[in-house]
Amino acid sequence: MDLQRLKPHFPWITLLVLVAFVGMTDPNFLRPANLLSLAGDIVPLFIMALGLTFAIYIGGIDLSAQSMANMITVVASAYLASLGLWVAALCVVLGFGLGLLSGFITTRLFVPSFISTLAVGGVCFSAAQWLSGNRALNMDADQRDALFGWMIGRTGIIPNELFIAAALLAVCLFIERRTTLGRALKAVGAGELAAAASGLNVTRYKMLAFAVSGALAAIAGLLFSVKLSGGAPTIANGFLLPAIVAVLVGGTPLTGGVGGVLNTAIGTMIVAVIRASMLYFGVQATQQQMVFGLVLIVAIALTIDRSKLRTVK
Amino acid sequence: MYQLRAVDKKFPGVHALKAVDFEIRRGEIVGLVGENGAGKSTLMKVIYGAYQPDAGTISVDGKSVRFQNPRQAMEKGIGMVFQEQSLIPNLTVMENIFLGYEQQFVRLGVINWQAMSSAARQQLAKVKLDIDPATVTSALSFAQRQLVELAKVLTLEERVDGDLVILLDEPTSVLAEDEVKMLFTIVRDLTKRASFIFVSHRMDEVMELSDRIYVMKDGAVVDVVAHGAATVGQIQHKMVGRSVDREYYREQRQKPYDAANVLLEMDGIALPGRIRDISLTLHAGEVLCLVGTEGAGREAILRTIYGMRTPVSGTLKIKGNVIRTFNPQAAVAAGVGYVPRERKVEGIVAGMTVYENMTLSQMGRYSRAGVLNVAAEKALARDWIARLSIKAHSEYADCGNLSGGNQQKVVLSKWRSGGSDIMLLDHPTRGLDIGAKEDVYEMIRDMSDDGVGVILVADTLEEAIGLSHSIIVLKDGTIQQRFDCKPGAKPTLYDLLHFMI
Repeated sequence: MDLQRLKPHFPWITLLVLVAFVGMTDPNFLRPANLLSLAGDIVPLFIMALGLTFAIYIGGIDLSAQSMANMITVVASAYLASLGLWVAALCVVLGFGLGLLSGFITTRLFVPSFISTLAVGGVCFSAAQWLSGNRALNMDADQRDALFGWMIGRTGIIPNELFIAAALLAVCLFIERRTTLGRALKAVGAGELAAAASGLNVTRYKMLAFAVSGALAAIAGLLFSVKLSGGAPTIANGFLLPAIVAVLVGGTPLTGGVGGVLNTAIGTMIVAVIRASMLYFGVQATQQQMVFGLVLIVAIALTIDRSKLRTVK
Repeated sequence: MYQLRAVDKKFPGVHALKAVDFEIRRGEIVGLVGENGAGKSTLMKVIYGAYQPDAGTISVDGKSVRFQNPRQAMEKGIGMVFQEQSLIPNLTVMENIFLGYEQQFVRLGVINWQAMSSAARQQLAKVKLDIDPATVTSALSFAQRQLVELAKVLTLEERVDGDLVILLDEPTSVLAEDEVKMLFTIVRDLTKRASFIFVSHRMDEVMELSDRIYVMKDGAVVDVVAHGAATVGQIQHKMVGRSVDREYYREQRQKPYDAANVLLEMDGIALPGRIRDISLTLHAGEVLCLVGTEGAGREAILRTIYGMRTPVSGTLKIKGNVIRTFNPQAAVAAGVGYVPRERKVEGIVAGMTVYENMTLSQMGRYSRAGVLNVAAEKALARDWIARLSIKAHSEYADCGNLSGGNQQKVVLSKWRSGGSDIMLLDHPTRGLDIGAKEDVYEMIRDMSDDGVGVILVADTLEEAIGLSHSIIVLKDGTIQQRFDCKPGAKPTLYDLLHFMI
């Protein structure tokens, strides 16, 4: 009973414990400059996780996020020269539209979201390969700095990415807590049949959840390509697993309905600390996904609401 | 031989079983009756091992036992014939009978189908069912499936030593009269092999079949009646704690409806496989009851009106407008409210607060440009919590934690506050305790006074008769008969039953 009451507080307790633990092993870790640069580095992943939260909040999943980001890095790099600032709009619209497509496949064709988004992700990945000729593309450095330099600079000692992250978090939090869309997504996640029986257009809201997820994955890709001044079809590989981990350890279970974007912010910080601590403990980059895979299994096992699942396949 | 002593079971917010004593002797048929929510199904789940009691003892032949799961209970000879039939439709009869116990027919990793078939034939003979065991189960009639289910449970006879206790949960609810007779003959015949616990809503059947009847009310056994020692009325009196009278259903508050004001009209509506040629009219202030057995088409009619199903023929007019697109959004916009039978699944969203639930169907009214006015939502919730005296600590209470009656009040206020004037109530009192039921009855009368038209699928026939202005009896998806139910001139149970079966 008490454990149940504590459960919502697990994520930030975990975060504090991890920070304290790593801080004790390596006092340098707790230096503000180090923490800020850690936070700045995780922002693209955070934005992707923010989007994923919407898909997972309704009880679905978006496996296309990583391929979407990959594709967007290529699109941004390829069209920056010709479109200028408009390339940002193109990226977001592309992400939103492809997310909508995943949503359509899921809700209208009754294909479970893990497979519909996997398929759309495959399309994105291949589109990225085709568009880039399977090579890494580079942005024109001057043009990038002129148009998108504000994204990656610093204000004082604070990386600008953090302002972007905070702004997006604020928008998402507002959507989640204060709009009909957010309320409808909560109802769909917590009790889809009751939402439908209350006359909500469940199909539309579910499609929108995937669209928001796609749009945020696109923004993540855009920011990533600006940071790296280029794009490639595999450049964001390795994002998906930590992003899903961030959502789940944050406290939004795969079954949906509880948690939300604030939880994902905490979850992302946990991921950042785990990632940083792996460096301190000498875990090689090639081994990182093993750790995230294990953390993911533990996180799912701890958070999933088994009363909502009749069978698992 | 099988005994419960002072068995207690609590769930969050509900004391489901209060020190229940229960006993069944060899070869006996024991009836178990009580209203919905009286604790019958909890008691049965304790008996067949699905629930573990919080206190009290269970003993078989004087030896104390404790079942962790139904399988352990089965090993002691306690079997359950499920109301929702538990046979897997795409397997053959014999596969179903020996599901999970195929090992006995396996030689070198291969199932000897002939051996299984002849063993299945033996089991089927016990229930006098002469069918090929290789028949696919979905090809059988409901009555046949019920018997297969019984035969499946009777395989316990070979598997366990000692006596069998078999629970029959509403075994007659989908059977026709002659099928019920046949089932009873078979059950009586089987008492030399097993004891039976018989649970049914149909009081006359329980009285006919049972040697003793346990009467439950509010989680306790209020009486044990021997065969022939009481009339139906007396037992009903014990079940509800007072005679089922007109006052209970607020009959004195039933006023004539406004016949000039037609809210809803169905003309020749059909859904393949569910309903055919349904025509009915609902007036302002009218309570129209749909009566019929499970699957007679009551739910299909409600769901068509609510736009969850699209009829293939016929017209539906709501307030004079012909409905062309069938979806819940359009129905809600036209003023239809729906209180579904599965309250916890479709009625409320557990995990959302009272105010979030109340505005779920009318978010447009509490938002501007998609941004919610949460303060107004909370005010609405506080208002209705006070009006219907909903027992919730505040508008922030999680609806999933409210009791059934209070959940139902939230669902009703969701629609009432949104101004719905056509209310579809599917089993609105299911699983509620008596006080909560009376609250719902009051609310139904309040709605009539406000000129709301109500289409009701009641939990019991008595409820249907007590509450309604008109009754439509359905069978196999068609309308059999329509009754006027003016106070003092209401049809009897038997009038209705005659057309139902």
